[in-house]
Formats: sequence, C-alpha cells, structure tokens
Amino acid sequence: MTSSPGLLAYLLIPLFTAVAIPFAARFRTRMADVLANVTLLAGLLNLSLLLFDPANADSSFSAIPDDGFSLLMVFVIYLVGLCVTFFSTYFMEEGSGVARAPYFALIMTSVSAMCGIVTTGDFFTLYIFIEVLAVSSFALIASGERTGGLEGAIKYLLLTFPASLFILLGVAFLMLTAGTFSFEGVKTLVASGMPAGGTVFAVSLLLLGFLIKSGVVPFHAWTPDAYEGAYSPVSAFLAGIVTKIAGVYAVIKIAIILRLFDVKTCPAADILMFLGMLSIAVGAVAALRQNELKRMLAFSSISQVGYIVLAAGIGTPLAILGAIFHLVNHATFKTTLYLNSASLEKGAGTSDMTKLGGMEHSMPWTSWTSVVALMSTAGVPPLSGFWSKLLIIVALWDGGARIYAVLALLFSIVTLAYFMVMQRKVFFGKPTEASRAAREVRPAMLAPVVAMSVLIVALGVFFPYIYAYLVDTVAARIIL
Amino acid sequence: MDLATTLKISVAMPVIGSLLVPIAAKVSVKARNAYAVALGLLTFAATASLLPAMYTGFPAAYTMNFPLGFDLILSADLLSVFMAAVSSFVSSIILIYSLDYISHYENQTEYYAMVTLFLGAMMGLVFSANLLWMYVFWEITGFASWRLVGFFRSDRDVAKANKTILVTMFGALCMLIGFLMVYFEQGTMDMRLLRGESISTLAACLILVGILAKSATLPFSTWLPDAGVAPSTVTALLHAAVLVKIGVYAYARIFGATFAVSPEFSNGVLLLAGASALVSAGAALVDKDIKRIIAYSTVSQLAFIFLGLASGNRTAFAGAMLYILMHSIAKGGLFLCAGIIEQNTHNKDITKMGGLIKTMPVTAVSFALCSLSVMGIPPFGGFFSKFMVFQGAAQNGSLTVMLMFLAGAVMTLLYLTRLFYLVFLGEEKAENPKEGSALMVNGVLALALIGLVLGALVYYPASYVDMLTTQLGVNLE
Repeated sequence: MTSSPGLLAYLLIPLFTAVAIPFAARFRTRMADVLANVTLLAGLLNLSLLLFDPANADSSFSAIPDDGFSLLMVFVIYLVGLCVTFFSTYFMEEGSGVARAPYFALIMTSVSAMCGIVTTGDFFTLYIFIEVLAVSSFALIASGERTGGLEGAIKYLLLTFPASLFILLGVAFLMLTAGTFSFEGVKTLVASGMPAGGTVFAVSLLLLGFLIKSGVVPFHAWTPDAYEGAYSPVSAFLAGIVTKIAGVYAVIKIAIILRLFDVKTCPAADILMFLGMLSIAVGAVAALRQNELKRMLAFSSISQVGYIVLAAGIGTPLAILGAIFHLVNHATFKTTLYLNSASLEKGAGTSDMTKLGGMEHSMPWTSWTSVVALMSTAGVPPLSGFWSKLLIIVALWDGGARIYAVLALLFSIVTLAYFMVMQRKVFFGKPTEASRAAREVRPAMLAPVVAMSVLIVALGVFFPYIYAYLVDTVAARIIL
Repeated sequence: MDLATTLKISVAMPVIGSLLVPIAAKVSVKARNAYAVALGLLTFAATASLLPAMYTGFPAAYTMNFPLGFDLILSADLLSVFMAAVSSFVSSIILIYSLDYISHYENQTEYYAMVTLFLGAMMGLVFSANLLWMYVFWEITGFASWRLVGFFRSDRDVAKANKTILVTMFGALCMLIGFLMVYFEQGTMDMRLLRGESISTLAACLILVGILAKSATLPFSTWLPDAGVAPSTVTALLHAAVLVKIGVYAYARIFGATFAVSPEFSNGVLLLAGASALVSAGAALVDKDIKRIIAYSTVSQLAFIFLGLASGNRTAFAGAMLYILMHSIAKGGLFLCAGIIEQNTHNKDITKMGGLIKTMPVTAVSFALCSLSVMGIPPFGGFFSKFMVFQGAAQNGSLTVMLMFLAGAVMTLLYLTRLFYLVFLGEEKAENPKEGSALMVNGVLALALIGLVLGALVYYPASYVDMLTTQLGVNLE
C-alpha cells in the first residue's frame, strides 16, 4: 500500500494518539495537549536525527530510506504540527468554546492523514487520505467560537467538494483505461509513449482536482475565507501545511510522474505554468489591497503556491527540486506569519491592520520573527526563500521559459511591497490605542515562531546541505 | 595570520557580530556601544592590514563551495581592499560620532545592530568575486538601510523607508536578471574567470539599472533626498560613505575590471551621469533643507565618479578611484556637521539660520574645509581627484559631456557657497546655540583635516590607484 514502509510508523502513531486522546482527557483535560505534543516531538526528534546527521553528506545520503521526498514531507508535517499544537496549548483559554480533547484529536488525525498522503504509492490510497484530511480540517476550521469559522468551514467543504469528485472520477477512469493506479504503473505508462486518450482524460481530472485543492487561481475563491474564518492556530495549520499537502504536494507528484519535462508536447505543462504565473500575479496584487492581516496572508499564500506550480509546470529535475524546497520554505514562513497573527489577536485583540501600529515596542519578538518570515517570503537573501526562488528561476530560464523567469523574479518586488505595507501598518509606525494596551504573548507561545525563524535562517545558510540532500535522494532516486 | 583568514574575519566578524549587539545591550548600554565601536574599528584594522600585501601583488581568495556555481568567493585585490578600507574607516568614524548623537533616541540597539550589519554586508559585497554573492550582500545592505531610514517611526519616515527599499530592490532584481543572463551565457558567475569577456548589451543595461538605483543616479535619484528623514549620522553613512558608493564600486568592478563593454554603452552612461550631475546640482541650489541639499550634492558628485569610470581612460579611472576616497571623507564630514547643526538648532531650514560661525566656530571651520574639498579647490584632496577625472575625460570624452560636467562643477561651487553663507555667515536670525559635544566636533574636525592631509600627501593614494588601474582595468586607453 505505501511505497515507503519505513515511514508507516509516522502515520500510525499519531492515529493511535488521536484515538487515545479522548480517553486520556476524561481524567484530566490537559492530558490531551500533553499527548499530542509528546507524540509529535518524539517523531520530530527521530526525523531530525535521520535528516540532519552530518555523516549523511559524506555517504551521499545512503542512510536515508528510499524516498527522500516523502521523508522530507513527513518532517515538515511533524514540524508544523508540533508548532501548531504547542502554540494552541497556550493559546486556548480555559472555558472558551474550544474543547481540548476533540481539537487535539482532530489535529493528530490530520497529521496522520497527511503522512498517509505523502507516503502512499497509488492514487486510490491518496484519495482516501485526502478525504480523511478534508473532513478533519473541516471540523478544525469550525472550532472556535466565532461564526466566521462555520462560514469558512462550509465554504471550504462546498468549494473543495468538486475537487474530491474530480479526483475520485479520475481514479475510476484511470483504473478503467490504464488498469492501474499506482504511481509506478502510470509512470511506466507515460514513459513508454503518449498514453491512450482515456488515461490522459483520467490524469487531467486528477490534476484539476488537485489544482482546486491547492487554491491556484482561478480556483482560489475558498482560500481567503477559509483561512480568515478559521480558529487562528488552525489557519496556520491549514495555510502552512494542510492545503499544501492536499493539493500542491500531489501536483508536484503528478509532475514527476508525467515527466512533463520529457513529454514537451503535453499541453499540461503549459497550462500549469500559465496558472502558476497567474496565481503569482493575482495573489500578490490582491494582497496589496487587504486590510485584514489573515486575509492578506491568504492571498500571499496563493501567490507563493503559484511559484511552486510554475516550477512543477516546467518539470525539469532542477525545477522540481526548487518546488520541493519552496514547499518546505513556505511551510516555515507561512506558519510563522499565521501564528504571529494569532499572537496579535491574543495580545492586541485584533488582527485588523488599520487598528494596529507600532507593535514592535509592545511585541518585539512577534515583530522580529515576522520580519524574518516576510523577508524570506519576498526572497531576500540569504534566507531560505531566496534559494528556493532562485532555483525555480534558474530552472525556468534553463528550460526556455525566460519570460516566466523574469516575471516571477519581478513579482518578488510586489511581494515585498505588500509586506512593507503590512509592516508599516502593524509593527512600525506610531502606536494606536489597541497597540498601546497590547502585551507580548507568553514565551511558550513565542517558542514555535522563534524556532521557525531560526530554521528559516539555517535553511538559507546551510543551503548546500539541503541541495545535496535533494539531489542525492530526490533527483537521483525518483526523478531520473 | 594569512591573508585568507584576515579576509574571512573582515567579513564574518561584523556580519555575525552585528547579530550579537542585542545580547551586548542586555549587559549594559556602555558595553553595547563599546562593542559596536570595537566591531567597526576591528573591521577597519583587518581590511587595512590587507593593504601592504596588495602592493606586493598577491591577491588572496577564500572559497566556500555552493552548488550550481553559486560558490561564495571572497577575493582581495587592489580595488576591493581599497574600497573596504575607505568604507570601514568612515563607518568607524560614524559609529564613534553616533555615541553622542543618538544617545537620547529610542531603538538604539537596533541602530547599532543595523549599522554593523550594514558594514559587514558592505565588506562582503566588496570582497565577493561571485556575482550572485554580490547580489546577496547587496540585498542585506538594502535591508539594513530600510531599518535605518525608518529610524524615527512616524508614518512619513516609514513610508520613505519603504520607498527606499522598494526602489533599490527593484533595481537589484533587474541586476539579478542581468547576472543570470551572464550566468547562462558564460556558464559561471566567478568574476575572476569572466575577466575580459564581452557582455551582451541587454545584460549590461539590466545590471546598470541596479547600479543606478543603488547609487541614486537619474532616473532613480528620488529616494536619496527622501532618505534624509533618518538621523543624520545614518544619512551620512548611507550617502557619503557607503551605500551610494556600492553602486559606484559595482560599476568599477563589473564594467571597469571585469567585462569589456561597448563604447555605445559607455556613452549612454556618460550622458545619464551628466544629466544627473546637472539636475541634482540645480535641485541643491534651490532647496532649503540643509540635509537635502547635501544629499542632492552627493547625487551630483557621484556623477563625476561615473564620468571617470565610464570614460575608458586610464587617468580618468584612477581619478575616479581617488574621487571615491576624497568624496567619502569630505561628504561624511559635511553630513556630520549638518547633524550637529540640526541637533543644536532643532531646525533644518537654512533660511532660518545665520551667523552660526560665532557660536559654533569649530563646526564652521570643519564645514568650510570639507566644502572646499568637495568643490575641488587646491590644495585639498578633492582637487586632485576632480582634476584627474577631467583630464582623463577630456582626452576621449565628447564636448557635450564635458560641458555638462563643467557646468556641474561650477554649480557645486555655487550651492556650497550659498549654503555656507546662509548658515554660518549673515545675520543671526535666532538665538544661536552652543557648539556640539566634544566627541562630535572632534569627529568632524578630524575628517576635515584628513581631507587636507590627503591633499598634501596625495602621492601615496595616487600611486596606489595608479597601480590598481594598471593591474585591473579592462579596455582602458
């Protein structure tokens, strides 16, 4: 069932924790978050030891189990998961509308489902896990006492429902026409020449479904509402990892399977690149005009997903590496920014940018971690976001898509512009009433964002190691 | 210590050290200030210690491997060591001056962290022999200047800080496209390997956009006078010492010492620079804000450096190098004088000043000496550099360009005289304050006297830049 049996434990243990949480929480409610945090922390430590062993570089990563892409994704899932659960532990107030036991159980279920998505070897299992993820994140968005949460959840469900339908239909057609739905089977089929029309249709349906799930323009309408309406830590979870795994990961995977680079006649490549570029532009320009911080971040997310889809579209090995690296980076910086918006809500009582100002005095840590994250998003060197964008742009240029390369590069300035506006309204500037009363959140809530900021800098500085990892495990083993 | 280690230290020490400034601030205010100044001075010492080795002609290099030819290469040669020594020297003076100047503002820790980060990034930029890493450090300087320009956090300041970073980063992105074009045409971004190669005009123009945006030359000059909202030590640092010189250095490094460019391209640059010299000198003649006048003057003087660099003539190129040195020191002095005046009179409008020479004699004398050097009056250092640039440019420049620059030079004379007259001479218009603090006044006096000494001992820097031009210049007559 899974292509990476070694990673099965990472899927099963959170699932087990999810089942155990309601029972444990009967005796003491705090047991819920303790269990969730401990499970994720243990998994993360284990993965870090495997990934960041200095001996790896000398042995060209032979210690890494077969699929480096899946392992990296599991690492990111655990990382974001831990940041969100740790943050939520202190974010939730006693007596608020959010019940601890179901909340943490749902997060653990989604972590488990995401691990399933990234380790599976066929489209059918992929579909099942995506549905599990959709249902649990639907419930997560609706947690929290605001009515916006329910509205966002319903929009999320209704607008991504067609996506699930397309994916299911695609899987069915694939079985009918190609007789297989394993990744390897489809890959062999594509490698042996242009497949039959039915198969192309099936894969197109799949791709369409995943594009809707990723929130690429023109299928982006649900993302701002869902992210804005969701319970604040959940927005970080959704934007940072859930929608990326449910949609963008699968798009990259399909790009690898279809060998878009080899089969240049395939119009899918052109469509992907066009939609990617469109997302970059629409997302960035729309973000310029937002007043609500979480909404602006949602549009920024659309724009960053555009870079990944653009890279998946050109499909050269280098572009795929860039896309994967950007996916990792996006998880780090977007989680930081969303968690900080949650801290602002907690500390100053609002995340409406027109009501905030001069927050750097009352919340210096939140302010500086935001600066690091936004600089990385805008691709300012030497932070991690710069290298992934550079890889994507070099790959685009190399693959002959020079116009796209130049446009993608120049849209960094728009990214920088909307973050400058955000920075000016929220952190710089003279304090407003809301911000004078604000206090920095407690250190425990800062720990996740500080850790993420350190990681953003570290991934940038140790870029050669990351690149070697990607080349030796991803490019050498699954692409070529 | 071998050269490569010194090289590594002079970049790594300020960059990493700047991140530790907040920690030093936790100890005490004194410890933080001392630490920041020590970082500046040690950086200057490290770069200056490279100078003698450069005379013997063994360029040192340090390489850290990055994939895809993105290696971090630090290389010391005559040009880079020269620039590094000049800018770290002026930065150290500015750091010392800041001790008093910003002692009563908020955000001091951030100020010291950003100035030292800026200094470190500048060192990295100057020593980097890989185009990509030049871009990396370029962006870090942009980031530091963004925080520094927005030092007084009012909406107006922050809006101008945002303008600064957006303009310079737009330029930098264009430059990155140019670098990538070079990368794909030549297969490498190592400037040591690219020496003498030709470059396509499109790539050259894109790189030029980045350079002009950073050095605030037309048509990107508007952010520089706006950046005057920062505390004047910062503008001094930004303008005179380093930031705008980054653009000039990049031009010298990329088009002077690496690529051979077409004559049409050079002519275009000369015309742009000429227009820039005239327009900004005109703006300096009519403006009333003392810091803006000096900022416009910087834009105008930079054009003279471009004249020297783009003329394609050996004397002019050497003159431009000398100009960088003289202008850094003189303009740094002018800005710091303006800082003292502004802080003591609480006023920036020169029409409301007058007769300051009676109460602030040392500042007035320093201001006069620095002005004379900028105007290019013998025997100040500024005379020799301006003379060499004109001499060289006259040999192969066109008449139009020469006339433009001649007019620019005359206007320099006019606006600086006007400024000095209105501020220091004339009637007293308000209650005039006392002289600035000893540390600040001595700082500016030191810069003014150095200008004079450099004029007297001009033989040494001149022989250095001459050697530099001979060894590194590409396509010079």
